[in-house]
Order: sequence, then C-alpha cells, then structure tokens
Amino acid sequence: MADSFTLPLRPLVEKRERPDTLPVEIAQINSQWGSFRDVNEDVLRARIEEEKERDGVLEAEEREKNGAEFDMTERLEQLYKRRAEITQFAMQAHMETMFALDFVSLVLSKHAPRQAETSMSAFLKQVAPLGSLDTEVVSPRPKPETASKDVSAVSRGWRIQNFNAAANKLLNAAARLEGEVASETRYWNETLAVKDKGWKVSRLPRERQALGVQYGFLEATPVFRDRGLASLLRAEDGALLLDRGLVASQARFVRVRVKQNGGVSGGSTLTHPGYNIGESIEGRILQARDAVYEEELFHELVREARLMATYGVTLRQDLIRIPAADDLEIVLDLVDATEATFHSGPESSQHDSLLADGLAHSIRLLLAYAHRQNLRRRTQVPPPLTPKKRTTPEYHLLRPALAYLQHMSSVRWLESFLEDIFGVLRSAGLETSGYNADVFETWKRPHASRSAPVEAVIEQFLTPIESTFTGKLLTPQSSFTITVRTSLSSPPFGTNFDVSFDFSKYPDLKSPGRLGVEDEVQVALTHLLLLDIVSMISSDDLFALTADGKDPKDTRRWEAVYPHLGELLLSSSNPEKHQKMKVTISRQGLSVETYLVRNIDGIGRGAWELRSTHPQAKTWKSPSSTDKQAEQPSLIEFVSAETSAPADER
Amino acid sequence: MHELLLFASVPVHQHHELLQQLAGLTAMQPRHCLERRLIFKAYRKPGLVTARTGASQDLQSGDLQRLNKMLNGGMFYTQVVGPISEGDFGSAPIPVPTPDPDIQMAGMDDAKPSVTESPHSHYDYERQPWKLEFRDIPEAGTRSAVTTRVMSSALLPRGDIVPSMNAWGYSFVTEYVVEGDMFIHNDIVIFLHRVLHYPTAEHEYHEPRRQLPVFSEMAPLEKSGSYVLQAAITVQDGSNQETMKTASQHLFGLREQLRSAVRLEQADRLSLDTRAK
Repeated sequence: MADSFTLPLRPLVEKRERPDTLPVEIAQINSQWGSFRDVNEDVLRARIEEEKERDGVLEAEEREKNGAEFDMTERLEQLYKRRAEITQFAMQAHMETMFALDFVSLVLSKHAPRQAETSMSAFLKQVAPLGSLDTEVVSPRPKPETASKDVSAVSRGWRIQNFNAAANKLLNAAARLEGEVASETRYWNETLAVKDKGWKVSRLPRERQALGVQYGFLEATPVFRDRGLASLLRAEDGALLLDRGLVASQARFVRVRVKQNGGVSGGSTLTHPGYNIGESIEGRILQARDAVYEEELFHELVREARLMATYGVTLRQDLIRIPAADDLEIVLDLVDATEATFHSGPESSQHDSLLADGLAHSIRLLLAYAHRQNLRRRTQVPPPLTPKKRTTPEYHLLRPALAYLQHMSSVRWLESFLEDIFGVLRSAGLETSGYNADVFETWKRPHASRSAPVEAVIEQFLTPIESTFTGKLLTPQSSFTITVRTSLSSPPFGTNFDVSFDFSKYPDLKSPGRLGVEDEVQVALTHLLLLDIVSMISSDDLFALTADGKDPKDTRRWEAVYPHLGELLLSSSNPEKHQKMKVTISRQGLSVETYLVRNIDGIGRGAWELRSTHPQAKTWKSPSSTDKQAEQPSLIEFVSAETSAPADER
Repeated sequence: MHELLLFASVPVHQHHELLQQLAGLTAMQPRHCLERRLIFKAYRKPGLVTARTGASQDLQSGDLQRLNKMLNGGMFYTQVVGPISEGDFGSAPIPVPTPDPDIQMAGMDDAKPSVTESPHSHYDYERQPWKLEFRDIPEAGTRSAVTTRVMSSALLPRGDIVPSMNAWGYSFVTEYVVEGDMFIHNDIVIFLHRVLHYPTAEHEYHEPRRQLPVFSEMAPLEKSGSYVLQAAITVQDGSNQETMKTASQHLFGLREQLRSAVRLEQADRLSLDTRAK
C-alpha cells in the first residue's frame, strides 16, 4: 500500500472570517453575566459549586427513580404502556400515511384517473368523485433576502453535517474492514500452517460453512472416530480457536498402577508430550488427539475387562482392577493429566514402576495395532449383508499383558522349584547336569508373517507364550521336558504345563501330559526324581562302585522293590536280617532311612514289615535353607557304607 | 444370494479425479485389480432325453422333477474370473516342460502370480486361480431404482479350466480383461473399471490364452477409454425384504454422496441379460 493516496472524504471546512469578533463576544458576556468588574475568583468558585450541586441532585434523583422502578409489576405495567404507545404511534403514522395517499391519489385522479384509482381507499371513492380536486401552480411571493440567506446557510450547514456523518461512516467502515482483513489473513495463514503440518482440514459435515480439522483416528470405534473432528473457529483478532464442542477441556489419561500386597507400589508416569500444551494451535490439536486416544483406550479396556470377568477382573465406574499374579494387582483408571503423574511413596519400587510403565506402553501399542487390524478388515470385500449386525470384537489389550505377567509368574515359580530340588540333589552329592531354561521361546523363534514389520512384532506378542525347561536325569538317556504355555486369547485359556518324561528304565511310566496346577507339576517332578534316585541306587554303576575290590559273591545289591514308594531292599541270607531303605524327596530335602525288616522275604509292607526300632537315617537339606549343615557324607557314600556294613552288627 | 447394483459412466478425463474423490470418501487407497474373464455358454448335451411330461406327471418323484427342472431350465452364460497382475502380461512363456514332472512342479510355485512379482516372471496358466461367477438376468418389474439380480460365486480348481467346464456342460466363448480399482465403503463394493480386449490375432482362439500379450497392446472396449463405476452390495437372503431395503438404502446414500461427481443409476435390464438363446 505504498503508492496509496488518501482521498479526503470529509468536506473542506472553510475558514470563514469570524463574524463574532472579540467586541461582539465582550458585548454578549456583558449582557449575559453582567459587568466584568463584578467577576472575581470567589464568585466564579461559587458558581462552579452551584453547578456541581445541581448536577449531583439531578443524578441522585435519577438514581432514586431507577431504584424505585425495579418493582416487577410496575415494570411490566410500564412495558405494556410503552408498547401501547408504540402501537398507537404506528397506527397514527399509518393513518396519516393513508390520508396522504388518498390525498395524492385524489389530486392525481384528475390527470390519470385509472392509475390513481388503484391507490385510493374505498371510502374516498364513495365520498368524492374522481377528479374533483385539482392543483394549480402558484408562484410564491418572493421571500425577503435575509430569509433566503438564512435558508441557504441552514441548508449548507445541514449538508456539511451530513457529509461529515457520511464520511465518518465510511471511514469507520474502512477501519473495520481493514481490521477484518487483517484478522481474516491471520486466520487463513494459521489454517494453512495447520494444513501444511499434515493435518486434514475440511468442511464440517453438518455446518457446511465452517472449517474443521480431523485429528482423530479413522479406524477407531465410530463414537470416537466422529469425535476426532473439531471446528476451527476464528477469534476476534483472527487467532485460530479449536472448538471441540461439548468435550471436557481437561485432558485425561489412562493411569496404570501396580499394587503389591494391597499397597500401591508403582505407577505409570505420564510421558511428557513433545509439544507445548495450549501454546500453539498445533499443540492444542495434538492434545485433543491424545485425549481422544486415551478415552478410546479406556473405553476399549472397559469393554475387554467385562469379557475378562472370569479372570477375576472387577470393574467399577472408572476403575479396572486386575489380579495379575501372586500378590500383584493392576489398577487402571482414567484420570486428569494433573493427577496422572505418580508420586513415589514409601512402598514404591523401581521394578513395579517399570512394570506399570511397560504395561501403559503396551496397551497403547496394542490399541494402535487394533486400529491397523480394523483398517485391514474394513478394506476387505465385505461379507454378504445379513440381518445380523456385524460387531467389532473386543480388542486384545489387557489379555496379552496379563498373559505375560501370568507366564512370568509361572516361569519364576518353576525356576525356583527346580533350583530348590536340584539344590537338594547337589547337596546330597549327586552330580546332576541341572536344567536348561528357554524362557519366552516363542518370541525368539523367527516369525513368518506377511504383514508389515511393525505388525509382525505385535503379532508375536499376541500368540501364546511358551517357555521350555529341559533337564537330564541321573539315569543315563533319561530326561524331562516341561513346556509352560500361557494364552488368554485362545483356548486352552490360562497357563498350562506340558510335562513329558523320557525315562527308559520305566517304560511304563506315562508322561503326565498337560497339567494346569503348579502343585501337580511339583508332585509329578518330585516323583520322577524319586524314581530316578531309586533307580540310581539300584543301578549297576553303584553296584560296581560298592563291590569294588570285593568278591562279587559277597556283595549284595539293593533291589528296588517299591520304586514308586521309594523303597529298596537289601536281601540277606538270613530271613530276619533283610535290610530296607526308604528314600523320600521333597522340595525341602532328601532323606534316606535304612532299617532291618524281619519278615521272611522283606517284601511285605505296613504291619507286615516288622521293622526294627533302630533305623539309620540321613537327611540332606536344600542349600538355601538357613541352618548351616556340617560337612556330610554324600548319598553315594552313605549307601555304600550301608551296603557294606554287615547287617548283623545292629 | 442377491446383488444390488448401481452404475455410472465415467469419462476418461474424470477418472483420476474420481479416484481421488472415492479414496477420500472411503478413506482407503484404491486396490488395483486386473482380472481375466472367460465367458462360457451352457449348451444342451446331445443325447439328453427330455422327459416328456404327460399324464404320468404325477408319478414323477420329487427328485426326478427337480433334476428335470435343472436340466431343462434356462441356459445361461457364466463367467470364469481369474485375478492376474500386470507382470503377467507379455511375460515369457513357461520353459518347455522337462520330462520330470516333479521338477516342473517345484518350479511352478515361484511362478504363482502375485503383485510383487518382477516383470520378467512367467505367467503360469497352470497355476491360475479361477472363480466361477453366475449372474442372473436382473429382476423385472421392481419398483426400486436399483438393479437387483440373483448371483452366486464358487471357487474353481487352478489351471486349465476348460475341461471341467466342458464336463459341466459349458463351452468356451470368448475372453477379455477387466482393469480397475476397487474401494470398499462399509458394505458397498465400489469398482471403477473398464473392459480391455486382446489385440486381434490372425487366428481365432477357441480356448483361453496360455500367455498374455504385452499390456500396452490391450485395447479398451470403449474407444474413448471411459470407465464404468459399479457400486454393489450382496445380500445373503434375497427374500428378506428388510435386508434388501437396507441394502438399497445404502446404495441410495452413496448415490447422494456422489451426486456432485457422478450420476449413479440403474442399468438397463436387458443389457445385463445373461440367458443363452
């Protein structure tokens, strides 16, 4: 606008020569206020005071009047009165206009009767015949010059006043327009900036003249998909306003807390967004998007939690409680952003906070994955239309996370159990090769998937989780395998232990197969190890060891009479001197007891056993137990000592 | 199953714009489709006895009646549709079969048509998947402003389909290629497509081509290259008035939404006549 020129809109005010010269004014003052001689400061002050008082009185009167009129009925009365006045006034005006119309019509009817007749009132037509009134041009008496001068001065004044008013209006309009243009420019620039950042800007479907920005997720549940649209309004100064309608402005977040033994021990921290909330329009859009995502997340969590009532998940108005594993409880709720940060208390632990954070991230990732799945489903050729409505299945958000926790807990239990029982064996001096754990084996396997790499990662998380434990037994060519499998998405639900034995010595020993309870696994494995020890004691190797350097005829060997009960027999030539050994093994320890039995062949049990009262016993505790044990002979030493000791010494 | 349809003609200059409009409407990227379509005509096998219906009509058992109805009912043209990819066009034929069929079989899996295939891959007619599509003549005398017809589709074995079709009483008539983009809008399948003809060869083909010519040689049936927009909904149970009404309402909704772009309307019934005379 550099080459703009200003067009004067206001009329030029002529500098007329002042007719009211000073002498005239002095004369006027003299006649109005009296002589200047009487004017002094006191008089003037008194006058000012007087005027002030008068104004004050007037104002006070007015105020009183206003106050008094606040009476409701009076106001109404006044209102009706005023309305009646207005109506009366309008009727009066109408009547006068009609009179004027009749009059003009009557005058015109002299010259153009047909035309004039149309605008005449019926009454006039009845009363006065057409063309009964005529006009005549009368040349007026010439006015005196002073009068015409007055008229021209007045009309000139009027004209100038009108010009001024018009100019003011135009200038105001121009100023307003300029402001409007500036704010409109700002609005469109900001809108374009939003569009350039990649947001989808479109017309609103219902208010077609307004612009809206789409920040929601197209694949979300329809309720939340439709909420992902906000109109871009223009503020007074042209700034962009994001109008999200009737949505709470406070952003809310899904908070994950971990409770250990009833006390909150960890919570997810609200990851600080990488934008300034409320600062820029971009920030506000991002905030709105996050809020919609969080609310959808919670909605879906609630939907899934209802399905998971069988796992003990309870649902209150805004709270989901999930008993995960052991004493661990997970609490999910939707809270305001101000509350969302977790303040670590005395009971909090680093591990639980990490767990809560991990859970918070995983449920969000899984929702994003579910959105991708929705897109895939939506773009497939739809099945034929049926009266039955298609429903979207609940997303897998909590189930994979819960499966992970359950699996973790089962694996930890199994690990600790194996650690204990193998510790017992080691403390008994048995050389075990221990066990191998392949935790989360399914996730390490190469996963063949046709979907995008991102989806393939998540898909793996949704498959049943498997961990495998393998171990060798003391008996050669014998082993056991335990596969822990957890799945909450597909049957069999929950955690299952697939236990299989490969024990050549007892081919009739059936693998227990799939077990659901940890105690059963413990029993099965303990029993297997008992058999293993029994078979080891009765094995040829140990026999060879004890028989070392002795006459083979002289040595006797332990026979496993009741291997499943852990009982072995050292038969003697003397029918009263059979020796029996009883092996018991548990998680806490291994104990071996030898005693004499006095029945004929030593095979009888229970009351028929006729056991001696002086048993020889030995116990090996697990190394983790607190009481320190003295150096003990190993199991093999004990057994060989028992074997070689002559029975009749007892 | 029933199919409800609306059609619109799209001039070639509007094609690109409409693609974008549809992508915006359906919130998905267009899925490009190329299909071989073989047309088969049903014929009456010679030597078939048409059971005379006379006084003994009452004696015919229900099964026999149904069989007769099937054998002597209307004869229809049917289509056999096979998806192909652009890479299949103008590709070198499969190498001469080696004597060992097992080796040949092993090589064939690689030649399976897929979108990601390189242009030098082979088009393997023997591995071409097929689908049989039967479309009845549109229903007459419906008040509704949509084309409604009975339809059915079935998967067919891969490879050379002509012997099986012959066995079922169909003879090969001709074939063409359909090229287009597909969109899914809720229950509606929107298919913006055009028909391509094979280049005219010296000799008539009396069976489906075993290899495809170069894609650029394919000529559109409509010389101007315009497209057809087809919006279709399939309904499981055509006798359910409620569902049929919902389906046509969905189509009308789409018609309203696309009103400013194209005019979707009912097709001429006789132009979709599939009966063989």
